[in-house]
Amino acid sequence: MAVEIMIMSGVDDGLVLRLDDKDGQLVGDDWALTIGRREDNDICLRNDTFISRDHAILRKQGDQWFLEDCGSKNGTYIETPDADARVTTPVPIAPGQLFRIGRTWLRLQNTE
Amino acid sequence: MSNVPLRDILIHARQESSRMRHFYLGVEHLFIALLEIRSGLTSSLMQDHGLTPDYVIDAVRRRTGKGARARLWAGMPNTPRADVVLGIAHDLALEAGRDEITERDLLLAILEERDSIPTRVLVQLGLDLDQLMQEANRRQLDSGITTAYLDIVFGPDYDTSAPLSEDALFILRRMFHGYNRIRVERRLNGGYSSALLVIVTPITVDNLEEASVVVKIDRADAILDEAKRYEQHVRTTLPPLTARIEDRPTAPETSAHAGLKYTFVTDRDSGPRDLRSVAASWSGEKLGRWLQEQLYPYFGQTWWSQRRPYRFEAWKEYDWLLPPLLTLEMTPVKSLPPGAVVIREPLRRARINQIDYGELVAVENFTVHKIYEDRREIALTHGRGSSADKQAYQINVKMAEMEEPVYRGETIDLITGKVYKTRAETLQLATRALSPNFDVTAPTIPGPAGMERLPNPLLHYDGLLDITLNGSVSKIHGDLHMGNILVGPNENPFLVDFAHTRDGHTLSDWAMLEVSLLSEVIMPIAGESWAAAYGALEGVVTLNARLPRPDGLYRNKLDKAFDALACLREIVAECLQTPGGWIEYYVPLAFCALRAMTWETMPLGPRRLMFLLAALSIHETRQTGKPGSSETHADHSLSDSGGSPTP
Repeated sequence: MAVEIMIMSGVDDGLVLRLDDKDGQLVGDDWALTIGRREDNDICLRNDTFISRDHAILRKQGDQWFLEDCGSKNGTYIETPDADARVTTPVPIAPGQLFRIGRTWLRLQNTE
Repeated sequence: MSNVPLRDILIHARQESSRMRHFYLGVEHLFIALLEIRSGLTSSLMQDHGLTPDYVIDAVRRRTGKGARARLWAGMPNTPRADVVLGIAHDLALEAGRDEITERDLLLAILEERDSIPTRVLVQLGLDLDQLMQEANRRQLDSGITTAYLDIVFGPDYDTSAPLSEDALFILRRMFHGYNRIRVERRLNGGYSSALLVIVTPITVDNLEEASVVVKIDRADAILDEAKRYEQHVRTTLPPLTARIEDRPTAPETSAHAGLKYTFVTDRDSGPRDLRSVAASWSGEKLGRWLQEQLYPYFGQTWWSQRRPYRFEAWKEYDWLLPPLLTLEMTPVKSLPPGAVVIREPLRRARINQIDYGELVAVENFTVHKIYEDRREIALTHGRGSSADKQAYQINVKMAEMEEPVYRGETIDLITGKVYKTRAETLQLATRALSPNFDVTAPTIPGPAGMERLPNPLLHYDGLLDITLNGSVSKIHGDLHMGNILVGPNENPFLVDFAHTRDGHTLSDWAMLEVSLLSEVIMPIAGESWAAAYGALEGVVTLNARLPRPDGLYRNKLDKAFDALACLREIVAECLQTPGGWIEYYVPLAFCALRAMTWETMPLGPRRLMFLLAALSIHETRQTGKPGSSETHADHSLSDSGGSPTP
C-alpha cells in the first residue's frame, strides 16, 4: 500500500508527501490517513492556519479512495468541473482529483 | 521582444505575495508579476484570447485567497514548485545561449510545468496550454516598448529652485511609461516629511493632454503601505468627486523610493492647489468657513460623522506620535545576555522609562515596522497592523551593519542593544534646541499673561498616556495637515496621502489640523521669538475659554487669523463624545503638539509655540478632568506594578 499526496498551493506548493503501510491505520482492507494541523496527523499541514487540528480523513476501501471531513471549522472541498463542492459525508475521490483542506489544495496521486 | 529582466519580475512577484499576505514566493506570484508588465508578452497573449490581464490576475487571486495575518515563517521562501519553474526557465535561457532568464523563458516554464495554480486557472478559463506555448514561442513583440524614453518638461509655474532628484525622475519615467511626454506643473508642499508631491500632466503619443494627476514619491515601504491602506479604508468611503488611487504603486527594484498616482475625478480640468498656498490669500474667516462648510461635511459623511463610542487609554491612540521609547545600538548576541533588561509583552512602560543610557536591553518578538536604510536603523513595534496601538512603544535599533536583510513586517525573536537614547532625552534635546529662556527641568514653566504657571510638558506627558478617554472612533485621515488638503475647482476639498488612514479616534484629525494651522497660518504672522509664541498662546487660551470672539475694530491681524481656529473648534465641539467634555480634545492636542515640536525642519517660532501648546493642553486636562465625564487615573496595568521582567 502506498500513495502520494502532492501539495498544490501555499508555501509548500509542489511538495510531494509519500505514504505507505507504516503510516495511518490499516485494518484489513481499510486504510485511513488523517490530515490536520496537529503533529500526530499522518499528513500534517502546519503552515496553513485555516486548517483545523484534526481536519479530514482520506480512506481507502478496496480500490476506492474516500474523503471525509472531521467537523473542521473551514471545511473540506473537492474540485468538480462546475464548482468546489463541500464535503459533508464521505465522498469518493479519484487519483488526480484535487481537494482542499482549509486554504491548501492537495492532489491524490498513484505511485508509479 | 520584451526584455524585462528576471529580478524586476521577482520584485513584483514579492510585492504581490506581500499584498496577499502569503509571504512566500509561488508560481502564482510569478505569473501575476508577468501579467503586470504592461504590453508584455504574457498580458498581450491574454488579450489575444479576449482576456484582460486584470481579469486573469483576479481569477488567480480568487483561487489562492488572502493569507492570515500571522506570519508563520521568516523571510520569503520560494515554494518547491516555484523552484522547479525557475529551474526550467533557467534551462530554457541556457539552451538559447543567454545567461539571464527573460519574461518569455519564465512564461514558457510555467506553462510547461502545468501543475501550478495559474495554469489550472488558465485551463479553467478555457485556454489550451500547448497552444499558448506555441504562441509564446512565436510571438515577436514591438521592440520599441522597453526602450521608449519619456520626455519630462516643467510647466511655467514650476519653481526651478527645487529640482527633482534623479530618483524622482526615474520613478516618474517608470510611472508614465508609454506616454510621449509629461509636464510637471508644480510642487505641492508635502508637509515636513520626506515625501514629494507634484502635479503632473501626461501627454500621449498623439500629443493629447490628459487630466492632471498628483504624484507622491516617498520611501518604497511607505508608498506600498499607503496603497494598502487606501484599499482597506479609503476606496469605498470617498465622496464622489475627489482624489483616488487608480493605479498600482510604481516601485522599481533599483530604487529605495516608490511613487503613487492620485487621479482626480473632477468636472473641470484645472489643477488643484494645496490648502497651504491657497490659505495665504484667504482670510482666517474664509479659511475657517471653508473647513466647516466644505471639508468637514464633504468627507464627514463617510468619515468623521460616522462615529461610534470608543473608550480608550490615551497611549493606544497617541503613543505612536511620540519619539521612540528607546533607541538602541545593536550588540550582536546569539542568546540572552545575563543582566539585560528584557522587553516583551506585556509591556510595562513605567519600567522601560527607568532604563538609562548604556544599559543592555533585549527586545523579544517585536515586529519590523520601518527600515531607515540611510541611517542604518530599524523601527520595531510590539504589534503589527494599521491601528495606532500596534505602533505604540516604538523601539529603534541602530545596526552597525545589516547582517542579513530584514523585511518590513518580519517578527524578530531577539534583538539586543545598548541604550543610546531614551524618549525623555529626545524630547529634552528638542526642547533645548528651542533655546528656552526658562528652566526646562522645573516642574512648571511660565504661563501666558494673566495665567498661573503651566505644567512642564517634559515631566508630565508620560502620565497623560494612561488617561482613559470617553471618545469616539471613526474613519480618520490620520495625518490631516494643510499640505494634505487640496483645493480643487469650485473650491472642492480633496485629500491626499492616506499613509495613516485608519479607524481611529475621531478628534485626532482635528488636533493635527489645529497644530498645522497654528504653525503655518498663525506663527508666520506672530513671529519667531518666545514673546511671539506666548502671544499666539494667548489666542489659544481664548479659544479654550470658548469666549465670544473679539469683534470689530479692535481686532489685529492675529485675531483675524484665529477665526480659522475658532471654526475648527466648532467642528471639534460637534465631534466631542460628551458635549463639553473637552478633555477628549486636549489630550490629543498635547501629543500632536509634542510631536510637532520635534520636527527639525519646522521653523523655530512654531516649534516654540508647540512646546507651550503642549503645556497649556496638559494644564487644561487638569481643569476639565475633574467632572465625571472623563477620568484620570494612574493605577493602570502599564504602570510598574508587577515584578521585574528580567529572568
